Parts: sequence; structure tokens; C-alpha cells
Amino acid sequence: MKLNSYRRCRPGGDHSKVNEESIDPSFRRARTGTLIKRPGRRVLHVAGLRLALQLAVLTILFFAAGRADAAVVAKSAVEAKLAYCQDCHGLTGQGYRGFFPIPRLAGQQVEYLENQLRAFVEGRRPNPIMSNVAHVLSPSMITALAEKFRDFNPGPLGGAPKDLIAKGQKIFQEGVPDANVAACAACHGPKALGYEQIPRLAGQLYPYLIKELTNWSKERGQNPAKPDTSFIMAPVAHSLTRPQVEAVAAYLSDLK
Amino acid sequence: MDAISKQAVEAKMKYCEVCHGASGQGFQGYYPIPRLAGQQPDYIKNQLEAFDERRRVNPIMFNVAHVLSPAMQTALATNFHEFNPKPFGGGQKDLVAAGQKIFEEGIAKSDVPPCASCHGPQAKGDGQFPRLAGQLPDYVFKKLTNWSKERGQDPAKPDTSAIMEPIAHGLTEPQIKAVAAYLSYLE
Repeated sequence: MKLNSYRRCRPGGDHSKVNEESIDPSFRRARTGTLIKRPGRRVLHVAGLRLALQLAVLTILFFAAGRADAAVVAKSAVEAKLAYCQDCHGLTGQGYRGFFPIPRLAGQQVEYLENQLRAFVEGRRPNPIMSNVAHVLSPSMITALAEKFRDFNPGPLGGAPKDLIAKGQKIFQEGVPDANVAACAACHGPKALGYEQIPRLAGQLYPYLIKELTNWSKERGQNPAKPDTSFIMAPVAHSLTRPQVEAVAAYLSDLK
Repeated sequence: MDAISKQAVEAKMKYCEVCHGASGQGFQGYYPIPRLAGQQPDYIKNQLEAFDERRRVNPIMFNVAHVLSPAMQTALATNFHEFNPKPFGGGQKDLVAAGQKIFEEGIAKSDVPPCASCHGPQAKGDGQFPRLAGQLPDYVFKKLTNWSKERGQDPAKPDTSAIMEPIAHGLTEPQIKAVAAYLSYLE
């Protein structure tokens, strides 16, 4: 039907909203009472029905505006936003080694993704690109995207030096007690799948993990007015030596 | 006994807190990691020894405990005993009343004595009997349902964990959930 295809063409528009200007002009012609003579169009030449339709549309508009973000996000809006995320994060959220290492989102904990997107917006995790991305996302969109990415399950991107993996596994499972490095597995789980606000690490990009761990206190928890749970990782990141970071990163980047 | 430096103790405390939470409040990670705040020092030291001797089986805590000198263990236990953050909470609220009844009266027909008789009326513990007040409900549930598989695992070295065995065995899972819920809110 012509009306629907017109709506789909509007860039970035919320497709549940309808306004008079976007309605096919043939409707307006019907207000004068003349019969619409387009093939396939029927009925609406009766003034009473015309008014009823307009009232119904206005009611829907009012209702949608009133409920604001409690509304379900349109499926097509989520699909469009997902494609946009995939541009950088990879087709299945696998991650991507661009100029910057762009992290894997596939299989990630929903609560962790939601927290990070909020952190970008609130300047607790400064990142000029991601704060622009996050800034326009409604809470329902954030949850919808997080749930989509949680359900992807591509293999790890890999690419780390293989000879570091065994050492990395030992650190992951046992920590480094002499150096006061807690065992990653204690919080992230034995398979590095994460839990609620604790991120999945399995299959994460090798250069991304190194970057985060070596840069932790300069990138996370950066808004002193709004302390967040990123403080938990600060002593761990601080105590790990660079060779230990590389080993753990190599191990994790290889995990399915 | 070797003297240990203040910095060494502080560094080790920070390390414990990564998993056990700020001020030893406990932490719900992939595993429920228990509250240490306000814990009886004798109990903490006993558990650290048990982990090291593998009488209490836990691969992560074995590695933690293995490198701790007795002096360090005492220092850590003393420090954690002094902390007093809010209880972890999180227990199912509608079970709290039933849990309190079990805690204070036991379950006579199952030969389960009142928890309060050893753990104290406020679940603060005493000597080697652990404090339970403010403990993570998932942790309490896991420990009580899993008691005989985790504690007293060296038949050559029986330990006092045997005391809890018939009690853990006599409680049903719903009863354990109720007690855990009650304890999780206790200050």
C-alpha cells in the first residue's frame, strides 16, 4: 500500500508516529467530499468516517507521546540501529581490528552493555565516538540492542600469540596470589562468560583487552561526582604486569 | 613469627576486597563471594588453613591461602573483623519470618537445633562459630546444600566442620532458603 512505503522512506523516523503531512495527499482530497478515484481505494468519502479516522489517529499520537519511552521500540528501528552498530563492531558483533580495536559485543552480558552505554553518556567512561552513539539511544533501545548482541555467538576473532595462552590460563584461573592479583575466574566465571554486570571476556579482542587493562584508571570511573563499579577492577589492572596482561589477553581472545 | 609490614597487609586487604567487596561486604559475582566483615577471626583463620590443607575444597581460595603466612592470616582476620558495612540483603522477603523461626527455634522433628544456640541470638558467632548476620543468601544456600561435598574433605584430618553435617543434612531446601533470607538482612 502506498501509504506504508512512504513512511518507510523517512530516514531515522519513528515509524509508529503518523502526522497529517505524511499521509498520502489523496486522503486530503477526500475531505471535500469527492470520491477518491484511485484504483483500489474505497469507502472514505463519507464525512463521518473521515472524522472518526482522524480522531483515532490523534488519539494514538497522544497515547504514544504520553507513554514516551515505555513504548515498545519498533522492530525496524532496532534492526536499523543494529546494522549501524555492526558497521564498527562486526557483522555478528564479533569485534573488529580497525585503527582502534573495536570490542566484541557478541554474547555479552545485557547488564554490562547497558551500564557501559550509560557510562559513555555520563562521561564516566570518556570516548568521543561512543558518547555520540550512546547519547541518542533510549533506554528501551539500549535493552533491545543488548539483547540482540547477547544472542550472537560467532567464534572468537583470535590472532593473539599462541605461546602465551597457557600462562594466561593459569593467571585467569588462579590469579597471581604473590602479587595480589585476584583470580579472574572468581568473578568472571570459569569460562569467562561473565554474570549480570560483570562482563563476558571469552573471545574478546586481544588488543582491546590489553588496552583496557593497561589504561583502566585513565578511562573508567572518570566522573568523580558519580563513582561507579569500575573501581573494582582498578587494583587488578594496577597489579598486573604488562607481560601478564598480554598472557591473559591471549588466553581470553582464544576462548569460545 | 615474621613481622609483616603495614603496607603488605594493606595491599593484601585490597586484594581480598576485589572479590569479597569493599569493606568485605560480600559480592555476587559468577559465584556468591561471602561477606567477611565482622567475621570471627578464629573462624577466618580456620577456613584459610582448611583451604590450604584442602580440607575445604576450593581451587581459587587454595591459591589465595597457600601464600599467606600465619602472621598475615591473623592480621587479615583481625582487620576484617573490625569492618561493619550494611548487610548484603537480597533474601526473599516473604521467607524472612519463617527463617527467623527456624533460626531461633530449630526444627525439633528433624533434630535440627536452633542456629542461635551456637551462632548466637544475633547470629554474630563466637570463637570458631562463624558470624552469619548479613551473609549473602546465595552463599548460605550453596554452603548448606553442599556441606558434605565441600567441607571435611580430608578423611585423615577430620575437622570441626563435622558439627554442621547433620544439621545441613536435616534441613530441606525451602528451610535453607528461609534461613538464608532471614540472615541476609541481619545487621
